[in-house]
Parts: sequence; C-alpha cells; structure tokens
Amino acid sequence: MAELKTVGTSVQRKDAIEKVTGSAQFIEDRYMGPMLHAKMKKSTVAHGKIKNINIEKAKAHPGVKAVLTGKDYPNKIGLYLIDRDFLAIEKVRFWGEPVAVVAAVTEKAAAEAVELIEVEYDELPGVFDPRESMKDDAPIIHEDLGSYEIVPIFYPKPGTNIANHFKLRKGDVEKGFAEADVVIEKEYYVPQMQHVPIETHKAAVQWGLDGKLTVWSTAQSPNVVRQLLAKSFDIPMHKIRVISSYIGGGFGCKAGASVEGLVIPLAKMFPGYIVRIVFNREEDMQGTFTRQALFSKLKTGVRKDGRITALEYEMIWDGGAYTEYGVNIVRAAGYSSTGAYDIPNVKTDSYCVYTNNSIGGPVRGFGMCEMQWGIERQIEEIAKQLDIDPLEVRMINGMKKGSTTAAGQVVQDVDYHKCLKTVADQIGWGKKEGKFRGKGIAGLVKCPAQPSNAASSAIIRINEDGTAHVMIGATEMGQGMLTVISQIASEALNIPIDKIDIKVPDTDFTPYEWQSVGSRITYTCGTSVKRAAEDALGQIYRIAADLLETPQADLTFDGKMVYSTKDPEIKATIREIADSCKKCTGEGIAGPIIGRGSFVPTNMTNLDPETGQGNPGLFYCFGATGAEVEVDPETGVVTVLQLAAAIDAGQAVNPQLCKSQLHGGTIMGLSTALYEEVKFDKGVMLNRNFTDYKISTIDNTPHIESFIIETPETNGPYGARGIGEQPMIAVAPAVANAVCDALDIEFNTFPLTPEKVWKAIQDKK
Amino acid sequence: MSEKMAISFTVNGNRETREVEVGHTLLKFIRDELHLTGTKSGCEIGECGACTVMLDGKPVNSCLVLAVEIDGKELLTIEGLTENGELDRIQKAFIDHAAFQCGYCTPGMIMSARALLERTANPTDEDINQALSGNLCRCGAYQEIREAVKAASKK
Amino acid sequence: MLNYSYVKCKDLTQAYDLLEKEEQVYPLAGGTDLIVGMRGGKFAAKIIVDIKDLPELKILEENDQGIVIGAAVTLNEIATFKPIIDHALVLAEGAHTVGSYPIRNRATLAGNICNASPAADTAAPLMVLNAQVKITGSHGKRTVSINEFFVGPGQNVLKKGELVESVLIPRPYPNGTGVYLKASRTGSVDLATVGVAVQSWDNKVQVAVGAVAATPVRAISVEKAVNENGEKDLARAASLARDDISPITDLRGSREYRYHMAEVLIRRGIEKVMEV
Repeated sequence: MAELKTVGTSVQRKDAIEKVTGSAQFIEDRYMGPMLHAKMKKSTVAHGKIKNINIEKAKAHPGVKAVLTGKDYPNKIGLYLIDRDFLAIEKVRFWGEPVAVVAAVTEKAAAEAVELIEVEYDELPGVFDPRESMKDDAPIIHEDLGSYEIVPIFYPKPGTNIANHFKLRKGDVEKGFAEADVVIEKEYYVPQMQHVPIETHKAAVQWGLDGKLTVWSTAQSPNVVRQLLAKSFDIPMHKIRVISSYIGGGFGCKAGASVEGLVIPLAKMFPGYIVRIVFNREEDMQGTFTRQALFSKLKTGVRKDGRITALEYEMIWDGGAYTEYGVNIVRAAGYSSTGAYDIPNVKTDSYCVYTNNSIGGPVRGFGMCEMQWGIERQIEEIAKQLDIDPLEVRMINGMKKGSTTAAGQVVQDVDYHKCLKTVADQIGWGKKEGKFRGKGIAGLVKCPAQPSNAASSAIIRINEDGTAHVMIGATEMGQGMLTVISQIASEALNIPIDKIDIKVPDTDFTPYEWQSVGSRITYTCGTSVKRAAEDALGQIYRIAADLLETPQADLTFDGKMVYSTKDPEIKATIREIADSCKKCTGEGIAGPIIGRGSFVPTNMTNLDPETGQGNPGLFYCFGATGAEVEVDPETGVVTVLQLAAAIDAGQAVNPQLCKSQLHGGTIMGLSTALYEEVKFDKGVMLNRNFTDYKISTIDNTPHIESFIIETPETNGPYGARGIGEQPMIAVAPAVANAVCDALDIEFNTFPLTPEKVWKAIQDKK
Repeated sequence: MSEKMAISFTVNGNRETREVEVGHTLLKFIRDELHLTGTKSGCEIGECGACTVMLDGKPVNSCLVLAVEIDGKELLTIEGLTENGELDRIQKAFIDHAAFQCGYCTPGMIMSARALLERTANPTDEDINQALSGNLCRCGAYQEIREAVKAASKK
Repeated sequence: MLNYSYVKCKDLTQAYDLLEKEEQVYPLAGGTDLIVGMRGGKFAAKIIVDIKDLPELKILEENDQGIVIGAAVTLNEIATFKPIIDHALVLAEGAHTVGSYPIRNRATLAGNICNASPAADTAAPLMVLNAQVKITGSHGKRTVSINEFFVGPGQNVLKKGELVESVLIPRPYPNGTGVYLKASRTGSVDLATVGVAVQSWDNKVQVAVGAVAATPVRAISVEKAVNENGEKDLARAASLARDDISPITDLRGSREYRYHMAEVLIRRGIEKVMEV
C-alpha cells in the first residue's frame, strides 16, 4: 500500500471549534419559526385496556391548540417488526406509554393540559419477567402478533409473547459434549441499563403549507426516520425532509425512529408552525429504548487440554412492551453466540420475549455485552475446573484467521491473541499483588448488526477553486465521523483536509445512509466516500488529459496541480480543471466535478432459518480488556487499580479519536460493571433520573492504558474497521473476573455494587 | 400566575436590563431569552452539570438558580470565553486533547474547568476530579478532560 | 415553568412576616433542594421569599460563643473556612460531600438541615459537634440543639413563621479529631447510603449516623459503651449501633446493608479519631 498522508494521523476534529465554544447547534438550539410545544400524557398502568380518555378539559385549557389520542394515529411503526403504536390505541403495554399528546403555545400550557387529561384503564395482569412471559398461561401482550408486518428473517410465535426465536445449530452438539472431559453449566443474568446521553430525545416538525414535511430530529439515522415515517404516514419520500443536527450522544437510543412521529399529526393540523417535543430526563429514561435484560443458560463441554468442544446457549431476552428493534439484537446475539471463540459444535436458542417493562432496544454493543458476559464468565469456570490459566483457555480457543463463527462464517484479518496478550502484559498478568486484589481479562468480538444490504453513499463536490464538499448521510454524535470521513476523502482525493468541508445530514441534500449504528460508518460510509473521491479524481485526470492533451497514464495530481510525469512543464492547476474547464480555444471540456460513490455489502447472506448458518458479519472487530481491582471485604467496594483496553482497529484513521472511542467505551463499560441497573417494580421504572440512576463521573474513572492493534481489514477503507461499540463489551466481565480472582467468589450478574459484593462475601462465609 | 420582574445584570461583560418571568430558571432565561444556547439542559435537577455557568465568578448549575436571582450579578457563559474570536486556553487545550466527543456536556465542563483554574492555578488530578465530578460526560472523555485541564493550567 | 410569587426580602422581619401570614411560603437560600422539590411536585410554593442576600444571614465568623454559620452561607464557604477546618473538621468533611462543587456554591448548611433528609451530610457532623440552631420568627428567637431539630423525614421543629437564622458550633470546641465517613453507591456525587460522623472529645467519642432512621441519629449505645463502659473491642462497640438505628430499604441500599455499613463506618471512624 502506498504511504498514507492523512489517514493514520490525528488531525483536529472538524467539529472542534464549534463544540468548545458552545456554538455547535443541537436541535433545541435552533430557532426555526413560530412554534407549538408538544407534551405526552403517559399511562399510569403497565398493562391495561383503555376504557376512556377524556380530553375535553385539556382542550379547553388556555393556550392549548390540539389534543390527539391514539385513534388519530392509525398506523404502527417499527424497524424490523411493526408492532409499535405512536400513541396507545386500545391498550397500554408499559408504564409511561404515551396515550395522548397535547400541542400548546407554551411548554407550560402543554404540561398543564396533560394533567387535565383523564384516562380510565381496565388494568390487565402484567408480566415482568420474560421467563414467566414464555409460559403458556402468561397474559398475552400483543394479541395481534400474527398479523404484524415483519422482515422475514425474524420468527415470532403468534399466540405467545415470543417476538422472535432465533435458532442456531452448528456441528453436532451432542457429539461435542460426548467428546468433552468436563461439562459446565451456569445461569447468568444481565439487568436493563439506560443510555442516558446528556442530550435527551427531541424533535421538531413542520408541515409546510406546500405539503412538505420537515423533521429536525436527534435521530442517529435520518434516512431510516424518513423511511419509517413515509410508511407509517403514507407520505412519499420526496415530501419528507429529515435533518439531524449534532447529536448530544446516541449510544443506540436514537437509532431507528423514536419521538418524531408523535408530533407529525399535530404539525399537520397547523401548517407552517413548528411543533416541537423535548423529552425531559424522566421521559427519556422510561419512554425510549432500554437495554434488554438477559436471562441465560450456558453449557460448555471442554477437553482436559482446554479445548472447548461444545456450547449450548439459551438466551431469554426481556424485549419489553415493543420489540420492533429488539428482535434484531436477539438475532445478533444468537448468530454471535460463541463470542470470540472458535467452537465446533453449537446449539443456541435466543428468544425475544414481550413483557410489560419499558421498551427494549439497541444500546452500544447490541447484545454483545450481555451475551459475551456469559461466555467470558464461563471461561473462568472452565479454567478453574481444569486448573488452566484462564488467559490460556482464551488463547487455546480464541478465533484466528480462518476460524469459523457460530454462524459458520470464516473470519479473516484477525489477531485476537495479540489483543489478549497486550492487555495481559499491561496489567502484569500472573502476578498476584496481595490479598483482596485480583486481576481479570476478557475478550470481545462484534460485527455490525445490519441487514445484508444496508447501504451507504457519498457525493463529493469539487469547488471551482479545488476545495471540496463531502456529502454523506451519517450523523455526528461524538464518535468523530465528520473528521474520519474527511480524512478518508482527503487521502483518496489527495486534497488537504483543511480544504474539505463536511456537514451533518439533511435527507433533501445528502445521499442515502442506512443508519449510523453498529460501528459501521468508518467502513461503509468510508468506503463510499473513498469511491466518490476516486470517481472525482478520475474526472480530474480525464479532464486534465483532455486539457493537456496528454495520456492519463502520464499524469499525476499533487493536490494543487496535475502535471505530466514525463514533462513537468505540462501542467494545469486544480482551479483550471475544476472551474468548468475549457480549452485555450474557449471550447468547454467538462462542467463541475461531482464524484459519487456507494456501497452495499456483498459478503453477507441471509441465515438458514433452522441452523442460523450463513454470513451475518460485514467485518469482525476483536479486542480485550484487562483489569486489576482491590476489594474492601468489609464494605464490598471495588476499586479499579488498573484498566487496560486493546482494540483491533485494522487501521486507525485518526489514532487520537480511535483512542477517544476506546476510552469512552471502556468507561461506559466500567460504569455498567459497577453501578448501572434500571430497577423496576411491576413495570414502574424506579430510578429514572440522575439522582437515582448513577453513571461514572470523572472522579471514579481510573486511568486507562489503551492500545490500538492494527491488523488491516482487507476490504475496509485503507484497512480500517469500526470500533465504536466494541470497547464496552469486555469491561464488565474483565472487572468481574478480577473481583472473582480477588475473592474467589463467582458473580453471575452485574453491576458489582458494594452491596452485591458484600452480600456475596457474606453468603460465602 | 405569570409574574414578571425587571432585573439588571452583566452577561459576558455586557450590562443588561430585562423583564424576567419569576417562574423561570436561569437556564431557561439564558437559552430562551438571552439566546445563549451554548448552555445546555440535561437533567434540570442539578445532577448533570451541562448547564454550568459562572455567577459572580463561581460555577453554578443554572437549572437550580432562578432567573430573578441574578439581579445585580455578573453572569459568564461559554459564549463569554472567546475574545474577538480567540479561544481561551481551556478551549484550546480541549481541542488539543480531544477532550470531548458529542460536545453536549462540553460548555458546562469548560465552565467548571475555568472556575477551577481561577481558584487553583496548578491543580492536581484530584483537584480536577473534585471540581468536575458534577459534570457528567456520557461519551466518557474524562481521561482526555483531565489531560486538557492540566495542560491548560500550564499555559 | 413554576407558578409562584417571588419576594426578595429586605430584612428578616419581612421574611418571617410572610412566612407567618401567607400559606405555602418557602424561603429561598441556596435553592438547590427547593427548586428540585418544586419541579418534582414535593413543594407547592405560592410565594418564595429570597433571603439569600440578607447580610445577617451571610455571617460566617468566629466569636466568643463559637463559630456562627449564617443561614445563607454556602457549603463551599463552610468547607474552606479556617476555624471550621481547625476546630470542626468533621463538618467541613460532611459539607464537602454534599452534591458537586457547583451545587455547594449555592447549597447552604441551613437548607441542608431544614430539608431534613435523613441522609443530610451535614446533620451527623453537627450532632457530634453539639451544634445549636438559632431560630428566629415573628414570636422571637429561640435556640434548639441540633439533636432536637429533626422530627422526621422532611420534618423539623420549625413552626409556621420561623426560619433558621444561623447554626452555632459552640465553644468549647472538641479537643480531639473528627471524621465523616460516607458510604454511597458510586463514591462520587451521590446521596449517602450511610453517613457516619465521629468526633473525639478528650478520650470520649460522639457518634452520629445519617440515612439509617427517620432522622439523623446519635449512636448513644455506642457512645455509652466506649465512653462509660470502657469497651475496648471497637467492633463490638460499633455493633451496638443496631439499637440506635432502624434503616429502611430503598434504591440506595437495603436495610441489612445499612445496618452493616453503619457498624463498619462507626468502628472505622472511632479507630480513626482514637488513632487505634
């Protein structure tokens, strides 16, 4: 590969100055015109039939312009399984579900009016544990499951609460267990957590007098919002414009469509007005996606030499009241169910189950944190029972080039062992530092969970002076997309990065991007940008060849000038080429240069419905986390003394930003390992603000030693692959493994709160 | 009841007199009336720090101050840190160290950092941790933030 | 947006007159509990009386009586006031663990105790310092020991028309050291799961505990065992705290864990102040 100029350097973030000066515009910072404020009325029962909704008092309240209920929203919405009402229609399925929405001239009037709406419910028995929900006598949450529209790679069981049953059968699991010397079987539990981006969900919608719908949204994926709204409201796509500003953190909760649809019928009633909804923290926590809880049973068979011969994994996911997105998390966890290990015989059943808890949905890791928790904990058990170093068990079974995943996909470009070894060396693996101190390692793998044809595209406009605009549909939510994509464009175009402008998306002007999720943008959008740049560069050469009357093969472009390699005096500036180029005779050669590039995976396939075999992964990113902890045995407080994280980025496009992601994911992982758990009481979310739901702060965040491993991804742009979600995955198991090492106590769930650790110590006594 | 009161104050160096709703918080006033939207709302209960501003030289959560309370006081928001387009040393250090990701908590974080450096010229890691523990950053830029604040203190 | 009238008080009389005559009147000093409480529906304020800038409430001084902390003095001012650091470190430590730095720039000691949360981080320190609460109102002034100030969760002895004017850390000051130990979920900005203040006086200790009963409480049984019965086994002494407290289970911790942590922190606190 030719030497890289921009890719691989830590250029300054494109959004840097805006963000440190407070001038970066988020949705709520924009003044867009005369505005109405919307507010939801939320259900006060977790499961119940709506007997009556009285909106008369609310409608009569001063300042109120309109009050709508579910019957004003005839169509459902959903990404994979169309099961979700904008506003509950006949019944409510979770506590806090929106049942009505008010538009008023002030936020205050809207909030007051909401209090005046009277809703009567016939409460139905609720179900709050997915294991209970799978039983024959459980109350049915979606009676019409059989009639819901669904992408045909999911397998709901109408008449039950099972929204998806993903089956995977690889090899011969019975034979695998027969070959094993030891069989280990354990149960694990991962509770719900919340993304809590500091910016809550917000949307503003305007129904133009010309019938055009404009949506400003905190959406991670404006194109998906447009697609879902077009379908739900039966509007052609060219009549919907979705604009994403800078997003104040996403982590998955702003994927798919969320709040936008709530205000569209209101906006339709008042053409020309902007109707805005801003979720407060509490609404954001209980009304948007929550990470699905997972109850799992994991059984592994292993030979005395440490080789795992068989794995049987049953996962029961708490999908919550609506699983339009959650069904795919369950699928992804299923097809990835061996984690970072090459296991020949696998039987997995992964169930997405409706309950009357808050809506389950995508969170950084997309099922991998929860699923690989079990794997990485069970490896410790294997090591203990066989008396082999757990690092060694990981090395023996870890995937290498040519290994197959649970789905039977062959992985390439892998150096998982280097990731493990790097963190092990960093934390001084093998050296016991004292009583109540322990060390732990865990590994990870993740591929983007996306449809096999999830596409990206890019347009590059070369200005008359040779500067460029890169137009893409990906969103900037902190991950550094604008910078990384500009670097790829700069590299491919050979135009300096400071001559490249890039903006956040607007579906009327920026080309299609499926979603900014799954750590896929660097790869997918990056590839389309590279192609667009190559297309533009090709045009530059063709025009220059014509202008200079020189074969293209003899020309080279240095970013400012195209010249002949044979005679440097034969040359043209980029200005001459890009500014509607003409010959000396005045005859035009070519108009403005517009490069286009698109990408769709060609290496992915559907999965066999019975065996789950196929190619679900666009690329696989591996990594590892190492931790050393000290436990106060009296209080149960876990102090993290060392934290090391390694990720195989293929090629770090921007090493500084790559490390930012690595640190950020590790910190989020640590926060879930030690503190975070959403608590419910019969569907009522108890800790729904920052007083009760605690996340990591600067003063309890230890220093992280981070390592970028670079095993180039053959088909990634310049060898790069995405790493945004991955660093989170192995943190909880690494910390738990360290705590187990310190105390010789098993933990099959997290967070490892002081009380939980203390209790485990008491139970052991 | 929608009571209004006239107040006079200084914001980012400029004297202002305004009528304010007594029911409004300083956060709402800063954003909706002064149109200084760099100050962010994240929780409205003083737990996240995104709305941190300086009042008479001290950092406060503007969601927990009433707008009327700033009568006679001096308010500094993130917009007041740049002078003639020149970033201050903390802003520069935040850029150098990539001490932010989504940028939503950043204005509040920088205001807390500024207040720290005004009272402690050479802060230790522990000083930084203490001063910024009320500013949540869900993207997890804490390590870079510590480095940036330290670097800024040395400028 | 909230519905209330706002009165910036010119003097204390105006404040307690309003408190006396009107209904649903709330004094505003730091506002950090008040505004959160109004927004959450805990306080239905019709009138807010802003007392924060009254000079008599801004007093933070040492006089021949002791250290006087006016009702509008902030927790950051307290945590850095030299006489408090020198003579009442336990209070500085407690004040320092309330909320975050910006919160402590607004929050006041008087507000922290008037809000009467069982978990108030300054309450247990004030108890072990024998603090006195100076109350003022239309019917005159009175002084109440901090040990009698709390009545129940969110409830204190203030009568209608009264407010706290100041808190006194009386002389003689303790001649020993004090410590505030706090257990919380994250060890960062958080409410106490259990908060323990221990102060040594001569060779005796005073112990108070927060978040383990309807009000912050003195661990009388522990004090008695150590001070009167000469119990040398501090773990055994600390375990007697079980007779003094009656914790509940909530989001921050179970009753069982709170019992345990009260014992542990009391023992550690006593060890620390006695330099065991």
